[in-house]
Amino acid sequence: MSADLSIAMRAETRPRNLIATLWASRAKYLVGALLIVICVVMLLPLVASVLASLKSTTEAAAVPPTYYPHGLSVDSYVRLWDYQAGLQVYVGNSLATAAIAIALTLGLTVTAGYALARFPLPGKEALFVFLLLALIIPYQALLTPIFLMFAQLKLTNSVLGLAIIHTAIQLPFSLYVMRNSFEAVPKDLEEAAVVDGANSLQALVLIYLPSVVPAMVTVALFAFITSWNEFLGALVMMNRQDTFTLPLILSAARTQTSIGGTDWGMLQAGVTISVIPCIAVYLLLQKYYVAGLLSGAVK
Amino acid sequence: MRLPKLITVALAALLVAMPLGAVAEDLQMWERSGGNASMVDELVRAWNEANPDRKIVLTYIPHSEMVPKIAQAIASGEVPDLMGMDLIYGPQFEDAGQLEDVTDYFKDDPTLKTASPGHIQVATYKDRLYGVPLYADVSVLFWNKLLFKQAGLDPEVGPASLQDIHDMAAKITALGDGNYGYYLAGNCAGCNIFTFGPLIWASGGTIEPKDAADEPLTGDNLVKVLEWARMMHKEGLINPANQAENGETFHLQFGSGKVGIMGTGNFNLFLLKEQNAALFDGNVGITFLPGLEKGKVASFAGGDIVTIPKGSKHVKDAVDFMKFILSDNVQVESYAKLMNLTTRADMAKNKYFEADPRVQKMAEALDVARTPYTLKFFELINSPQGPWLQMLQRVYYSDDPIDQIIADGKAQMKAIAAE
Amino acid sequence: MYNNARGRFLGLLYVAPALLFVLLFTAYPFGQMIWVSFNSWSLITPPKFVGTANYTKAFADKQFWTSLQFTLKYTVLITPILMIGGYALALLVAANTPLRRFARAVIFIPVVIGLGASSLLWYWLFSTDYGLINKLLFDLGLLHKPVFWLGVNADISNWAIIVSVIWKVIGFGMLLFVAAIQGIPSEVTEAALVDGASPWQRMTRITLPLTLRTVLLVTLVSVIGSLLAFDQFYIMTAGQPQNLTATSVFYVYLNSFPYLKLGYGAALSLILAGIILLFTLLQLVLSRRSHA
Repeated sequence: MSADLSIAMRAETRPRNLIATLWASRAKYLVGALLIVICVVMLLPLVASVLASLKSTTEAAAVPPTYYPHGLSVDSYVRLWDYQAGLQVYVGNSLATAAIAIALTLGLTVTAGYALARFPLPGKEALFVFLLLALIIPYQALLTPIFLMFAQLKLTNSVLGLAIIHTAIQLPFSLYVMRNSFEAVPKDLEEAAVVDGANSLQALVLIYLPSVVPAMVTVALFAFITSWNEFLGALVMMNRQDTFTLPLILSAARTQTSIGGTDWGMLQAGVTISVIPCIAVYLLLQKYYVAGLLSGAVK
Repeated sequence: MRLPKLITVALAALLVAMPLGAVAEDLQMWERSGGNASMVDELVRAWNEANPDRKIVLTYIPHSEMVPKIAQAIASGEVPDLMGMDLIYGPQFEDAGQLEDVTDYFKDDPTLKTASPGHIQVATYKDRLYGVPLYADVSVLFWNKLLFKQAGLDPEVGPASLQDIHDMAAKITALGDGNYGYYLAGNCAGCNIFTFGPLIWASGGTIEPKDAADEPLTGDNLVKVLEWARMMHKEGLINPANQAENGETFHLQFGSGKVGIMGTGNFNLFLLKEQNAALFDGNVGITFLPGLEKGKVASFAGGDIVTIPKGSKHVKDAVDFMKFILSDNVQVESYAKLMNLTTRADMAKNKYFEADPRVQKMAEALDVARTPYTLKFFELINSPQGPWLQMLQRVYYSDDPIDQIIADGKAQMKAIAAE
Repeated sequence: MYNNARGRFLGLLYVAPALLFVLLFTAYPFGQMIWVSFNSWSLITPPKFVGTANYTKAFADKQFWTSLQFTLKYTVLITPILMIGGYALALLVAANTPLRRFARAVIFIPVVIGLGASSLLWYWLFSTDYGLINKLLFDLGLLHKPVFWLGVNADISNWAIIVSVIWKVIGFGMLLFVAAIQGIPSEVTEAALVDGASPWQRMTRITLPLTLRTVLLVTLVSVIGSLLAFDQFYIMTAGQPQNLTATSVFYVYLNSFPYLKLGYGAALSLILAGIILLFTLLQLVLSRRSHA
């Protein structure tokens, strides 16, 4: 923006001919070109991964590698599809876990965010900080205690148990965003409603929720990303092939060949499959959640 | 409000669509991934065919996480009925009293007497038996006869000492064109204990301490073997690219056709069949891993044992599976037919192996093979963070004095053993 | 509103589910972890009380210091790149033109994919023999022999991972900076223009000070994330070579998982949590000041 303005200012002092105009706009074109280059650089790794997943088995293991597949093949996807219990089982488990994690995260942080932003809680700051506890602890070290507790509660091998872990990981960020979003809602709106006789729950549902939908989308999206990709917790909690999630299979592709070598094609097919839903959801909900992130993080 | 509702609906739909999981009567079995999956799959398939009323459901656990996973299962009481594990970890769990004692079940079983001694040794603790071999990997030396011919060496005579390896490797490296004489993995602890460890043993050296009182890394010739390894690197007889090898492409190296001599395992032969038919068809020589002196050889007997964790609800059925995989028919029609080593020595003479003397040679390696017996194998040897790999990396790629490297390795190993 | 006892009760009611959840699934295991840190426990044998031995051991443990030092080095290297890079990108794309909107969306894409997936992706790209990066550098004539990006040289490995992480997360900071820049009241910028302030002056005197809070927030998030770095190292180097790229959390993982030294792992986690807490407090103090 500032670059454009400076050009405009300087342009006035110059004689108006074509070359000069181009010259004067050089910064604009340079910036445009630079942006395109940046976009290409950001997209290339993903494109390369998708292309690699479409190579034949031999081409995927070729040294030196090829830039793009010389002949399309879905071999890698077939291997991934047929892997152990079958890809659909793992994707199903991952989706179920993510869905519960999203529901839990939203349920907990919408109410807590409302309370923290709108009610005179005793020791509010301390409470908030306490709820953010998970932020500073390496959760890797908490997994074993949680696992032993879940074994007693019969929550191991279940998507609910795993979803609880994912919710615990995701809670601090989500709560932060939700609280800030509730704080950003103008107070007079609610006051008017309360004067009209609405109770606090009605105020939450009727007044606040419509305003914090973007933040909820943000929270849901990030909960999805966390849950869909989380590896170590799933490894600890799940004991049977038919309860495994996608990230466990992704890691298995690294030691897939008979004596533990990497199946490069299957690995990139796995990366592609795990990346696609994230990007799809992001692009679909972009409008909401950019706003949500902004209202939640930048006050 | 519309979004949460949507999510609830999706959630309900997904829960309904979830697989119901294994039936309660099934036996649950764990095995590490990246081991010998095709072999274990075949064993379970054969068992399930013969025992439709007590099928085994197999779950592969990422192999780097197998030990913690087993430990967590034990601590929580949620154990499988059968556990296939890298044989090297047997003593650790036997010592902790977490495995089912199967001695009495096998009291009168003749198949046990011929079972791979390395496997049985690590499956035994204080004279009690806790497991049987699931499959065996054994390390041997491969040489590429095509490269030997090109380099003017006799393709039918393999190296019989470290000096031989050096001299032959030098000629092959001299061919250029990306060919290298020998192979050593630079970033893979397991590959090295499997293929470099036996060079030390065959020269009279030792590696890991048996317990806190035992001295690790002993033998006058240890220094010479390490000096030999450094010389091989210094003279450029080993591809510098090997430095990055973390085990994930180790199995593909010999089949690339660019390596003259390489310590590897029995699995490599059958991989070769798919990977490089020209090499497989009569152009790969196989011999034992040698030491400094001719005639002294050694090997590492690896693979998995299958055990029953305490708390299994199907001990009797699990024992039956153990007996099943040791039975004559399975030894021949499952192990030998798939060109895997039989886990019983007396079964090595069978129609499948007789058709290929190279397999026979590898089966013989089990006789000279050993398996380290320690409660801390992972920390001492197998961990990429352990003293074994750190020591070798300094030998291969630094100029630190060998004596100093050994002294540091000893100190680190002792500290681990003393804990 | 609700500024009374009933309000307090209602508030507690609304916050109760989250509070209960954190108590059960974070605080309780955390408490257990504290207890475990005073024990020697391998999971397969019963815990043995050892007092503060795990803590004293940590301070004498060379690897603990190596890991901590490496983690700090990683943090110190990556944070300014993420901040300055993210801010520069934000300045480039802050205006609402179609190309800039598009660029914002694209730069943010890697943020929404998992760190595990992106690490596996870059693990392949950086692979010595199978990766496209060496291949590309070769074909461009910039290389004559392969570079070992991961697991052979600690500094090269560190930089390779930093590149992958920057690709992965730079969009996050950028987006927040864009929002902060767009949130600057237009009167302020216009007034500066009228006063004849140069672009540089406007940047340093208006834009930067008015977005400082966001800068501090993103710095805090980035610093905490870097101090807790695990996945990328677990996947891409596994601490190699010689444990020189083992981050603090990776070392916690090694002890808590494969080594089965849960007590020691717990003690290391607590020390690390203490260090992160210090950083966080420092940041909060800075942030308060900038706000005042």
